[in-house]
Amino acid sequence: MLAVLLIVWFALPLVPLALWAFADRWSFPSAIPTVWGVDGLDAAIAAGGPAASGRSFLLGLTVALIATPIGALAARGLVAGWAPLPKILPVLLFAPVAIPPFAAVLGTNVLLLRAHVPPMLGLVVVLVAAAVPYTTFMLRTAYAAHDVGFEEEARTLGASAGQVLWRVHLPLMAPALARAAFLAFLVGWSDYLVTLIVGGGQFVTLPMITASLAAGIGNDSVVAVLSLTAVLPPLILLVLLARTGSHRRP
Amino acid sequence: MGSRGKRGMANPNPDPVNRLRGARLLLIVGMIPVVVVVVGGLGSTILQSIGLMPLVGPVRLSVDAYVSTAPALLSSIGTSLWIAAASTAVAIVLGATTAFVVVSGGRLGRIVGAIGAVTVSVPHLIGAATMGLLLADSGVLPRLLGIDATAWPALVAGPWWVAVIAEYAWKESAFIALVVAGTLLTRVAQFDEPAAMLGASRGARLRMVFLPLAAPALIVSATIVFIYTLGSYEVAWLLGRTYPEPLAVMAIRLFNDVSLSSRTESAAIAVLTVAISLAAVAVAAVAMRRSAVWR
Repeated sequence: MLAVLLIVWFALPLVPLALWAFADRWSFPSAIPTVWGVDGLDAAIAAGGPAASGRSFLLGLTVALIATPIGALAARGLVAGWAPLPKILPVLLFAPVAIPPFAAVLGTNVLLLRAHVPPMLGLVVVLVAAAVPYTTFMLRTAYAAHDVGFEEEARTLGASAGQVLWRVHLPLMAPALARAAFLAFLVGWSDYLVTLIVGGGQFVTLPMITASLAAGIGNDSVVAVLSLTAVLPPLILLVLLARTGSHRRP
Repeated sequence: MGSRGKRGMANPNPDPVNRLRGARLLLIVGMIPVVVVVVGGLGSTILQSIGLMPLVGPVRLSVDAYVSTAPALLSSIGTSLWIAAASTAVAIVLGATTAFVVVSGGRLGRIVGAIGAVTVSVPHLIGAATMGLLLADSGVLPRLLGIDATAWPALVAGPWWVAVIAEYAWKESAFIALVVAGTLLTRVAQFDEPAAMLGASRGARLRMVFLPLAAPALIVSATIVFIYTLGSYEVAWLLGRTYPEPLAVMAIRLFNDVSLSSRTESAAIAVLTVAISLAAVAVAAVAMRRSAVWR
């Protein structure tokens, strides 16, 4: 019973997306759309949905590719004890989640503008900083449970550092690295405020066009289509992640 | 160990001290974005708020920005604290319940875990959009329940910020569940199964096994949720009313305002929000120290 209520709690907010996305007309008291169709899809394409989705994906990917190795280095350095400033580093690493996003964004934006940093670079820098606490947290647990014995064994048997990294370390850490990368991807994929302020309005992402349409009236079906577009890619990645996770487990 | 350089390719056993130095250097380079945002961003916000980093005009130390925003600020702080406290409270209760159901296992538990993970991956702005479609007076929920638009309470843009709190509680309960269940999955079984075998009821196991073990993860994730909801912009902007403004909405409006003094006022609001967040961190740290049952 409890489980069923929780399923309703998590699933109910997603119901409007599935209904409105294919509703050409939905007069008020009716419980289901009055005319089904794909007008919403056409409007989403006309509003630049595909290109904006591509930009969001690229942003998520860029953040993941930078924040995951940083998180891995920080996590391993902290676990193995070679990280510099072992007292200050964790505070610095986790500070981005202790500071409200808008507060960090406003100050950073002014700083980056004064330093003449291009908006796109600034955008990536701020989002990477926002993602690093999550990748570090995820990978710190993984490195704490990681047995360096396999790597030492490989070294003893004559493997080079590069071989150990590519053929022992990365395969062993792959599931945790993939989970960390997924979290970092979400930071870029989901972002609205940083893209708006630091990106300076030049880089129009999926959340940005969804926001401008959702703030208007009568855009319900196009908003639903764009929202579904924003929900599906993480969902697919999540399924892939669950699969690789179960394959790796002995 | 931990070497990411290519130095080891030729020589199978290079000097480990050198390899560590390389890794340390890489880590320092990798920390640059964090330092820019945390030290640089926060520092420049503070400097701006006290007039030491003006957009134009002379550099002059003053607390004008804090004084001029004070009247509106009190109601903004109240609004933001209400939204954050209510969202966090609901998210803790539902998140902990979800984690308990997930950790208890079974088919339904797995389904709850899966749909919770999906919820975590939904962007907040998209959550706000769909919550608006669900809860507005012509939304999907009144349609499904057959309630007339005039009889439906003002959940979106209403006096109690219900739609805003619902969106945060929805997303963040899934986040709390994920963190708590993740840290507990292995740990709880060792205590829960013996307790069940010895005849402890579900309620007793919840109180005496699950909650004490979950407390640290619950405190950490709830603190993250409180700070996030205190300073989040887009959900309150989309689903909230125009007055009183939550802190983030007021700060961003002032930031984009054309008048010159509004930038410093925006920075002052940011500094105050950071101060409230740090107070929340301090409270959490005390709670953490008291609750650590394992260590």
